[in-house]
Amino acid sequence: MKGETPRAWLAGLARTERRHLTLAVIAGTAAGLLTIAQMATLAWLVTSMLIEGAEPSSLAAGFAVLVAMIVLRALAQWGQESAGLTASLRVRARARRELLDHLERLGPVGLADHHSASLANRVVDQVEALDGYIARFLPQMRLAVAIPLVILGVVVWLDWLAALFLLLAAPLIPLFMALVGMGAERLNREQFDTVSRLSRHFIDRVRGITTLQLFGAGERATREVHAAADDYRRRSMRTLRLAFLSSAVLEFFAAVAIAVVAIYVGFGLLGYIGFGPADELTLFSGLLVLLLAPEFFQPLRTLSQHYHDRAAALGAAEGMVALLDEIPPRSDEAPLPCRSDALVELEAVTVSYPERGRVLGPLDLTVRSGEILGVSGPSGVGKSSLLQLMAGFIAPASGRHRAAPDLRVAWMDQRPLLIHGSLADNLRLAAPEADEAALRDALWRVGLGELLEALPDGLATPLGERGVGLSGGQAHRLALARIFLSPAPLVLLDEPTASLDDDSEARVLEALSALVEQGRTLVIASHRPAPLALATRRLSLGLEGAHEQGVLEEAMHD
Amino acid sequence: MTEATPGLFATLRPWLVHLGRRRRRLLAGAALMLLALAAALGLLALSGWFITATALAGLVLAAGGAITLDVYVPGGGIRAFALTRTVARYVERLYNHDTVLRLLADLRGHMFAVLVDLDNASLSRRRASDWLNRLTADIDTLDSLFLRLLAPALVALLAILGLSALLTVWAPSAGLAVGLVLGLAWCWLTIGQARWGLAASRRRVAELERLRGRVIEHLSGMAELESHGALAEQRRRLDAIEARLRVDQSCLGRLAALGSALAGMAVGLAWLLALWLGAQLWAAEALSGPLMVMMPLAVLAMSEALMALPMAFTQFGATQAAAERLNALEAARHPVSVSPAGPLPSQGALSVSLERVGLRYPGALTAVLDDFSLQLAAGERLVLCGPSGIGKSSVAALIAGQIVPDSGRVCLGGIEIEHFEAQALRRRLALLTQNSELFDDSLAANLRLGDPEASDERLWDLLDEVELGQWAGGLPHGLATRVGEGGRRLSGGQARRLVLARLMLRDPGLVILDEPFTGLDATTAQRLAERLDAWLAGRTVIYLSHRHDDEAMPLPGVTRTIDLTAHIGSPLCATGQNLSG
Repeated sequence: MKGETPRAWLAGLARTERRHLTLAVIAGTAAGLLTIAQMATLAWLVTSMLIEGAEPSSLAAGFAVLVAMIVLRALAQWGQESAGLTASLRVRARARRELLDHLERLGPVGLADHHSASLANRVVDQVEALDGYIARFLPQMRLAVAIPLVILGVVVWLDWLAALFLLLAAPLIPLFMALVGMGAERLNREQFDTVSRLSRHFIDRVRGITTLQLFGAGERATREVHAAADDYRRRSMRTLRLAFLSSAVLEFFAAVAIAVVAIYVGFGLLGYIGFGPADELTLFSGLLVLLLAPEFFQPLRTLSQHYHDRAAALGAAEGMVALLDEIPPRSDEAPLPCRSDALVELEAVTVSYPERGRVLGPLDLTVRSGEILGVSGPSGVGKSSLLQLMAGFIAPASGRHRAAPDLRVAWMDQRPLLIHGSLADNLRLAAPEADEAALRDALWRVGLGELLEALPDGLATPLGERGVGLSGGQAHRLALARIFLSPAPLVLLDEPTASLDDDSEARVLEALSALVEQGRTLVIASHRPAPLALATRRLSLGLEGAHEQGVLEEAMHD
Repeated sequence: MTEATPGLFATLRPWLVHLGRRRRRLLAGAALMLLALAAALGLLALSGWFITATALAGLVLAAGGAITLDVYVPGGGIRAFALTRTVARYVERLYNHDTVLRLLADLRGHMFAVLVDLDNASLSRRRASDWLNRLTADIDTLDSLFLRLLAPALVALLAILGLSALLTVWAPSAGLAVGLVLGLAWCWLTIGQARWGLAASRRRVAELERLRGRVIEHLSGMAELESHGALAEQRRRLDAIEARLRVDQSCLGRLAALGSALAGMAVGLAWLLALWLGAQLWAAEALSGPLMVMMPLAVLAMSEALMALPMAFTQFGATQAAAERLNALEAARHPVSVSPAGPLPSQGALSVSLERVGLRYPGALTAVLDDFSLQLAAGERLVLCGPSGIGKSSVAALIAGQIVPDSGRVCLGGIEIEHFEAQALRRRLALLTQNSELFDDSLAANLRLGDPEASDERLWDLLDEVELGQWAGGLPHGLATRVGEGGRRLSGGQARRLVLARLMLRDPGLVILDEPFTGLDATTAQRLAERLDAWLAGRTVIYLSHRHDDEAMPLPGVTRTIDLTAHIGSPLCATGQNLSG
C-alpha cells in the first residue's frame, strides 16, 4: 500500500470490478454498433424510396427492423449504465470499507491529529466522488476509442475521401483529449481553491454570527458575503473563458466535419468534383457518411463531459491514499503476559511520535489489582501517552509492555462519547446484554437517578444529536455509568474532570469512589488536585531531562 | 416547473422568486441554449435536405436532363449553422456560468441575512461545522436549480414545440406524431423521473447525513468504543446505514439509466415516425424527397436536448429537500418587532428588570429558568454566579434580546425589550461572550466591528490599553495582520484582550461581561481590570462568573452578587448547547 499513487490505487479498485466494467464497454459498443446499423438502414430506406421508387408499404419490413434496432439500442444503453452503476456501487463500498478498516487500525492515537469531521468527509463524501469516474468515465474512455474506429472503417469503405476528412481530425483527437483534460483539471483545481476560500469566508462569518448580531454588524457582513461571492465570480470567469475554449474546439470540429461532409457529398453527387471517389457517391453512401459524421465525434464529446468526474475522483483518491499510507502507531501483537499477578507491567518503556520525538520514559511501572494510581505532572509530560500505552492504543518505542492475559480495559476521557440514540443505547455500548434494571442501577450509582426519574420516557429518551439535552457534567457521569456496566477490571481515566465546574467534578468523583468500592483498578491522569486526592499511589512525571523517571510515592491516604 | 402538488410549488416558490430577480439574464441564457440547439438541428436537417436534393438533381443531370439547383444558399446555410452552433454553445456556457455565479452571490447574501436575523436559540442548536457545510451544500444545490433543471427542461420543451410546428408546415401528421411522442417523453423525463425518484433521492440525502454523523461518532469516540469492545457493533450499524444508502443509490441509478434509455428510444421512434409518415406523403406526391429526408434528421438532433434531463430530474428530491431546509431556516426568522413604545435613552446607564421569566429550550429535558426575577438599577454592577449550565448565559441572552422568554417580561430602562428596534438595542447594549469570537480577517477589521469609523490611532490606543500595542507594533503587517480562522493564530490571552479592546470601542449603557478575564494570568487581569473599571464608569454592568473569587477574577466595582444556585435550585440543567461546543 505504501507509496502507491492515487492513480494506481484507483486503477487497482477498478480492476476488482473488471467484469462489470467490461460488461459496460460491451453494452456501450453494442449501442454504438446498433446506431451505425440504424443509420445504414435509414439511408437504405431513403435510397430505396427516392432512387429506386419503392412504395413505403413494400418496405414495412425495413421499418420493423428499425423499430427493433431502436428498442435494442435502448436496452444496450440501459445495460451500459446499469453495469457501470453496479461497478461504481461496489467500488465505493470497497473503498469505504478499506478506509474504515484502516482508521480502526490507526486507533485513537493515530487519529488524534485529524479532525473527525474532515475524516468523515473523506469516508463519506470523497468516496462518493468516485462514482462518475468508475460508472461513466472508465467505460467511456474505451468507447471513445472503439466507436470512432468502427465508424471510420465504415466510412473508408463508403468513400475514402470523406474518411480522410474525419481522419484529418483523428490525430487531433488525443490532442483534444489532452486539451480538454488540461483545461478541466486546471479548472477543477482552481475552482476547488477558490470555492474552498469562499466557503471558508462564509463559514467563518456564520460561525461568528452571534458576535455580528451583538455588534449590529449583520447588514455590513451580509454585504461583505455578497461582495466576496461576486469577487469569486469575476475571478472564476477568467478561468472559465479559457477552460471552455477546449471543449469549444471539439464542438467546432464536430460541426465543421458535418458541414464539410455535407458540402463534399452534395457537390460530389452533382458531379462537380472530378477526382477521387467522389463520382462513385450515391445517395446511400452520401447520406450514411453524413449521418455517421456526428456519431464519430459523439463518444469524445461524452467523454469530455465526464472529464471533471475523473479530476474529482483523482482529487478524492489523493486524500484517501494519504490516509491509507499512515502507519498505525500500535502493533498488531497482544502485549506479553505479566510475570507477576499484576495487571500491567511496564519495563523501561518509552513512547515517541515521529514529529515530536520521545514524549515519555524510559519508565518502569507496575499496576496492581485494586489500587488507584494518580498520574500528575505538567502538560506535555506524557500523562495521556502513558494511559494510551496501557490501553494498547500505541506501541512502546522501546522497553516492554506486559499485561495480564486477556486484560480488558475501560477508557474515559475529557470528551465522553454520546451516540445518536436513546439513553439505553448509549449505556448498552459497554454491555449489549444488560437488562433495564442493570442500566437503571448504573445511572443511580453515578447520580443520574433523579434525572432518569424526571424523564417521562425514561431509558428510551432520545439523546439527540451530539447529546443535546445533557450538560457537560451529566455526559461525563453517563460515560461513567457505562464503565459501571462494563466488566473491565482496569479503568483508565484521562483528565476525567478537566472541563467541569467544581460541583460537577464532585459528583463525578463520588461516582469514581463507588467504582473503587467494586474492586476495580483505576489509573487517573489529571492536573487537577481533586481527582488525584482519590489516589492510593501517585506517579508524578517531570519534564527535566530526557531520562527523567517517574517518582513513585505512596500517597497519604486513608 | 409545473409539478403537480401545490406543496412542491410552495416549497420552490421563494427560490423561483429569487431567480425571477435575474429574469432577463435567465431568459437570455435559455435563449442562447435554444439557439445552440436550433443550430445543431438546422445543421443536420439542412445537410440531409441538401444531399438528397443534390442526389436527385445529379440523377436528372446524369440522365441528360436540365435542372437548376442553387447550391450556394444551402451551402452557406450549412456553414452558418456550423459556426452558429459552435459560437452559441461557447457563449451560452460562459454566459450561463456567469449567471449561476451571480445567483450564488445573491443566494449566499440572502441566506446570510436570514441567519443574521435568527435568534440565539435557533443558532446554538446548529453550531456544529457539519451543519454549516450542509447549509453551503444546500445553497449550492438550489443555485444549480436553473442550470440543471429549469433551463434544460424549458429549452427542451420549446424545441419540441418548435420542431413539431415546423414539421406541421410540410407534414401535419408527422408534426403531430413527433410532438406527441417527444411531448410524452418530455413529461416522463421531467415529471415522471422526478416523481419516481423523489422518495429515494430525498432518503439518499438523509442517509448520507446519517452516515456522516455515525462516522464522526465512530471516529471521535474510538477510544471508548474500542475499550468497551463496541467497535464491531457500531460498525455493524454503520454498515446497515451504508447498505440502505446503496439500495437507494442503486434504485436512483437504475431509474436514471431507464430515463436515458427511454429518451434515446423516444427520439428513435419519433424520427422513425417522421420518416414513415413523410414517406406516405411522398408516395402521395404531397412532399418532396429532400423534405422527406430532412424531417427525420431534424428529429434526430433532438436527442441532445433530452439526454441531460433524466439524470438531473431523478435527483429532484435532493433539490426539494434543500429548499425545504432553507425555507425552515427562513421561517425561524425573528418576528419583526412591534412599533416602539418609547425611545431607548440614547445616553447614560440603563436599568434592567426581569419579571417572572420562564425559559425552556426546544428539545431540552428540563426548563432553564422558571419564574425568575431580577431587578437592577442604573449604574449598578452585579455579579451573577453559579456553576456552568445553571442559566447565566441564558439570562444574558434574554437581556440582550437574543432569545425570547416563554413567559414573563424583560425590560431595559423600564421598557419591554421587544418594543425596541434591534439596531437601537444593539447600540446601547454590549455583551462580551465567554468565547473570544474573532473572524478570519485583519486585526483592524476585527477591532472595527466595535466602531466602523474608528481611526487607526484610536485602534492603537486601545491595543495599548489591553497591553497588545507593543506586540502588534512588532508585527510586520501591524494592524493588517490576519488573525486566522477563529483567531487561531493568536494565543487565548491575546484573543481575549483583543475582544476586550473591541468592546471598549463602543459606548453602551449596559455591559454584560461573561468571565471577562478568562485565559489571562492574575497580574495581567488585575491591570486590565483597573482600565476596564474606568471605561465601565457611568454604565450598568452585569458580570457572569463560575464563582466570585477576587484573586483569580478581579471584577471591578461590584455592588451586588447573586448566586443563581440558590435561586434556581438543583442544577438539573439542560443548556441546549452542544457538548462539542
